[in-house]
Order: sequence, then structure tokens, then C-alpha cells
Amino acid sequence: MSRQRQIAVLVEHYQNPRRWGVTEGADVVMLGGSPECGGSIVIYLVGGKEGRIRDLSFTGQGDIISQAATSLILERVMDDGLTMSEVLDLDYEAFVDRVGREAVGSRTRNATMGLSTLKSAIRQYQRETLGRLHHRACAQRRVIDTLESSSRTDLLGYGS
Amino acid sequence: MTQGAEQEIAQKGYVHPEMLVSTQWVAQHVDDPNVRIVESDEDVLLYEIGHIPNAVKIDWVEDLNDPLIRDYLDPEHFARLMSEKGIYPDTTVVFYGDKNNWWACYALWVFGLFGHENAKIMDGGRLKWEAEGRPTTQEVPSFSRTDYPVPTRDDSKIRAFREDVMEHLEKRGPLVDVRSPGEYSGELLHMPDYPQEGALRGGHIPGAANVPWARAVRGDGTFKSADELKAIYEGEAGLNERDEVIAYCRIGERSSHTWFVLKYLLGYGNVRNYDGSWTEWGNAVRAPIER
Repeated sequence: MSRQRQIAVLVEHYQNPRRWGVTEGADVVMLGGSPECGGSIVIYLVGGKEGRIRDLSFTGQGDIISQAATSLILERVMDDGLTMSEVLDLDYEAFVDRVGREAVGSRTRNATMGLSTLKSAIRQYQRETLGRLHHRACAQRRVIDTLESSSRTDLLGYGS
Repeated sequence: MTQGAEQEIAQKGYVHPEMLVSTQWVAQHVDDPNVRIVESDEDVLLYEIGHIPNAVKIDWVEDLNDPLIRDYLDPEHFARLMSEKGIYPDTTVVFYGDKNNWWACYALWVFGLFGHENAKIMDGGRLKWEAEGRPTTQEVPSFSRTDYPVPTRDDSKIRAFREDVMEHLEKRGPLVDVRSPGEYSGELLHMPDYPQEGALRGGHIPGAANVPWARAVRGDGTFKSADELKAIYEGEAGLNERDEVIAYCRIGERSSHTWFVLKYLLGYGNVRNYDGSWTEWGNAVRAPIER
């Protein structure tokens, strides 16, 4: 793809961003970048079953590369149905190649702002999910312990 | 019409009103062979989607920085850049750009290191040009290469290094920190996700006043009047035109905007930009910090 074509794709995504908007009730809301420099984005992630992503959206402001590349990666993840682990495995350099290295030039950080923020969102989701699972497992353990304790009490003849 | 617009700039009371030109003036000089219009943006693709006719692009990252060490380009590369852009030593260079001319001021400051003093800023920048519905083009102009002699670079007058700031501190010289209040207070160390561009410590250089750079501009992107600027920099921040002042931010880009305001619009005789800024100071061992 020529540099002009790369720029045309980026500008089209910038002017018509895919998956744009706030997702109410998202599991994770992750801020990336900086409004002071380059640009900033907010990614909204809704997790699905078995490590899948049910929904993704973003809002943001800033330069063409950061906003367009975020639109590009979110579109790809949802269209290709990538799992969370597949997103975490995505290579930044390969993504810059896909966006268009000639158009991006030295602004690779702007180009990967969306992908890096998405990865951060996924990691937070996984931490919180693991935390919830752990919490749930602990609660279940307590219920089982209580039941087992009650059963032993019954066997000793102190039950009702 | 042009005269009226320039009069408007003159009426704002600046010490050096000649450092600014209006959008109207630029519109009437797009074909002037003695004038080179230069777009310098943070958003590196803005020029590609449309720019002022006959404007060339200078990218602060790829054109003005040394690709290896943290410094600006050397005199040989500056001369080559000028030649490629069709600029002679006596060409009037007019900078404009996005973000209220933030990067335009930065480019002008770098040109100053090489003694290219015949440089101006288009008041209002890209925002005003577009708001006025003035024409833009995607056509990249081609100018004949010029013969630009290799200049001597003199950093001493307008650039401050860490040692200079240390000396300045000892003399209790005034400093202006033009970052956001969050960065100034130490609440923010770096841009989220980019810790490599941040600092190990947060806060500000002791005694520095905090005046976020964008306070110098109006909603339409033009600079505030001299009286408005004095109220901010002198009334609130306590600076004085007779003082030696050092401005800084994160990497010296935002502070070049404030440097322009203090040096040219308010006429401060001795103001320097500390481009090492917080990415150097906040990482330096034993550098004093205040929160």
C-alpha cells in the first residue's frame, strides 16, 4: 500500500471512526494517551464467555494517527472475533506495519496507543475476573465448610 | 483589508508586533518568492489532508531533532533542510500550525538557534485559517533548492541546559512551568502507557510559577493582548520584563510557546527555554524538587 493510500485509510477512519461511543455498563473503562500530548482515548470493554470479547468501543481526541489506529484495531478485533489472549499476543510492530509504516513514520507510539490501551483494559478485566472468581470460590468454600460442619453436628445428634 | 488585520495585531500592544502576521497577510503572500510559509503541527498528517497553498511542511520530530542523541539537528543538516524547503538566509519564514501554534513556535525557536531571525508566526494558526474558510490544498509545492550557507548554531541566548537552571536556582531566578496543574503538582508523572516518556519523580523545579501555556491564547487561536498577557505572567505569576526567565515543560515544546510570548509579545530581554525540561529534571539524581 502506498503512503498516500495509507494516509487515505487513516483519514477515512479518523473522519468515520468505527466502534465510536460510550458503552454504558462496560466491565472496564480504560484511559490511554494524554490530552496534553498526541491525544487520548478511552476504551470500553465488555467481556464474554471463555475469554471472548463481547463488545468494544472508544471515545477520544487527538491526532489523526492515534484516533484512526484505535478505530482500526477495534474494528479488526470485533470483525475477526479475536479472543482476549489473541489480542494480548498481537505484536506492536506488526500492527504498525498494518496501519502503514510510511504514513506513521516515527509516530509509532501514537499508532499503538489504541492497541496498548486495549491490552491494558484486557489485563484489568482479567485481574478483576480472576478476583471475582477467587472471591466466589472463597465464598463457595465457606458455604461448603458450613454445610460440612452442620452435617457433622447432625451426625453427633445435636441437630434440630 | 490586510492593513486592517495588521493594525489589529498592532493594537494588541506587543513589544514586537512584527513577529506576528495575520491570516489575511499570509493569504496575500502565498506566491511571494521572498516568503516561505511553513506548517509545523503536532498532528503529523494534517498537512497531508490539506494545507495553505504553497506551504511546506517541517516536522518537529523528523526534521528538527537529531535522530540519535537528544539534541537538535546540526548546522549542516539545518542548511540542507533550508535548501530543500526553498529557503534562503533572508527569506521571511512564516510558521503556522495546529494546537494554537504550539509547534509553530517550537520550530521558530529552533530556527533561532541557527540565527534565522527573519521568522514570524501566523496569528491564530491553522484553526483561524480554517475557521475563516480560507483555501487549502493537498498539492505539495516544489521549490528549487537554495544555496543556504551552513550557519553557526548558538544555543546560549535562548536555550537553557540543566546546569544553567541549577545556577539560575542559586540566584533565585524566576522560572515558569507551563505544564498542566496535574504535572506541576506531581500528581502526573508521565502520559499513561508511556512511562518511558515520563519521570521518576513528580513535582516542579523549586520556585517555578505555574502558567499553563495555552492561557496565552484566545478561543480563536490568536494570542491575547499584551495587557491580558501581562495580567497573567506579571500580575499572577510575578514575572518581570527585566528578569532573566527560564521556561520549561516536559520536553521543551509547550515552553517554546511561552518563550515566544515572553520574548516577543511582552519584550523580555532575557528568556530561555529549558528543553531538557521535566523529562530530564524529574529523572536527574539529587535535582531539587518542590511539590
